[in-house]
Amino acid sequence: MDDLSEIAKSLVERDITKTKELTRVAINANIPAQEILNKDVVAGMQIVGEQFGSGEIFLPELLMAGEAARAAMILLRPLLTGQKGGRGYTGKAAIGTVQGDAHDIGKDIVLMMLEANGWDVTNLGVDVAPEEFCTAVKENAFQVLGLSALLTVTMPAQEQTIEALKAAGLRGKVKVAIGGAVCTQRWSDQIGADCYAADAAEAVEKFRLLIQ
Amino acid sequence: MKTLTGAERVFKALQLQEPDRVPFYELPNNKIKEEILPGSSDDDVIEYFDLDAVRVNDRKLPGYRIETLDASRFRNQWGTIMRVMSEYDSPHPVEGAIKTEKNLDTWHPPDPDEPWRYEMLAELVKRYKGQRAIIASFQDPFNIANEMRGAAAHYMDFVRNPDLVDRLAGLIRDYYLRYIRNCIEVGAEIILFGGDYATTKWPMLSREHFAKHVIPVLKALVDETKSRGAYFVKHTDGNIMPIIDMILDTGIHGLHPIDPNAGMDLGEVKKKYGHRVCLIGNVDCAYTLTWGTVEEVREDVKRCIRQAARGGGYICMSSNSIHSAVKPENYVEMVKAIRDYGKYPISI
Repeated sequence: MDDLSEIAKSLVERDITKTKELTRVAINANIPAQEILNKDVVAGMQIVGEQFGSGEIFLPELLMAGEAARAAMILLRPLLTGQKGGRGYTGKAAIGTVQGDAHDIGKDIVLMMLEANGWDVTNLGVDVAPEEFCTAVKENAFQVLGLSALLTVTMPAQEQTIEALKAAGLRGKVKVAIGGAVCTQRWSDQIGADCYAADAAEAVEKFRLLIQ
Repeated sequence: MKTLTGAERVFKALQLQEPDRVPFYELPNNKIKEEILPGSSDDDVIEYFDLDAVRVNDRKLPGYRIETLDASRFRNQWGTIMRVMSEYDSPHPVEGAIKTEKNLDTWHPPDPDEPWRYEMLAELVKRYKGQRAIIASFQDPFNIANEMRGAAAHYMDFVRNPDLVDRLAGLIRDYYLRYIRNCIEVGAEIILFGGDYATTKWPMLSREHFAKHVIPVLKALVDETKSRGAYFVKHTDGNIMPIIDMILDTGIHGLHPIDPNAGMDLGEVKKKYGHRVCLIGNVDCAYTLTWGTVEEVREDVKRCIRQAARGGGYICMSSNSIHSAVKPENYVEMVKAIRDYGKYPISI
């Protein structure tokens, strides 16, 4: 923790007000948004992710840290988008819960963690049909598409979505990640997904590896 | 041993004793029921498979939905807007009624004394008392609060506003204390509270948060149930091993489903805790009952009986429910296998 910046520390401490204020101070000091994102926000959320992954913190603490990161991102986002040269974001992704399934808390936590780690993420919502996923991929430059399913009865929709991407000639355009309570690595391999993530912390790492 | 009634069988298991055979009482989802016995009612299936217990779920009572909003959405008695995704599976919360603490100032809990709440239970008691155990089931106050606040907001409340957590949980708890009392007076013999405390990885909250805010509510419900002479069963999916001791310390009689999808090992749990609680479940419904062969289902039932039934204290059920994706023939095979291998003394 001693090596962490003050913004990163405030994130790890889950102090929303302090994170927001320190981010504002850094912006006003003309520190580039990209640097604040990488050295402060992402660095802090990496620690948070490790804490969650190791069982040191749980959902309440993770979500509070996510709120702190969101507060920083609200200030940084306009500056990152307008940045000249180089990519402002770590990567670009979209996540949705598959057709027939309305569960969203897991998906939203993954979204929050990805955003806090510098991703430009689009929330496609719940009960998303395979055709809708295809349209989203066709019309955007997503690098990773996340498919969430929490029920055994809706897991087949993950496979159907991958098949729909193939049929539309879009499978090569995007990496596909799956997740959800009933999903496993075995299922991911069976349906031809590019990766399976067991939780939000793992999703951040695996999404990063997918676009390397 | 003489052949017991289903009720006697279930009670012996909950008392951690050996009945004549391993009990089973799982009713399949309506879609599966229709495929196995077309045109049948729940009572037909109960009789056909000779289930050892019957159950009324308060969320399935007509009055639980207080307002229809459109073709797929309704408002339930807690004020939560629910969305029906499929006619065969449970509705899903989309918007809670308690968006801010101020909303709680003008929110009123439902009335647990309304007579309609007990009509279906009274019917089951009239028809089955003495033959099959009578179960009244509800949703855990922790999970109802999740739906009422929105899961993310509720989880964050544990850190930023624990007084609101306790206030909301207390209102829901008080409703159910009255409801439990009424159900037992009508004839319910087992009180079952569902609602998950954990994900497949581990609990949603820290041990500290569970100990302070969730376990005391569960204990109040258990104490009320036991003080009135009934049994208490707690359902939770997920890996609850980090908090299982706290759950058991409340004095529950039964624990369901010992989730294999979350790495819960039935044999290990039996070894460590089988002297304290009746284990219920563990036949895998995420994969085996859904995509497995009948042979695989048979082997999974044998495994469960082998791991948990000796000495009593085990009820063989699925690892969650006989949901709409379960193969009908697998449900039939499951029931057959329990009968074939579940006679005491266990010989497999």
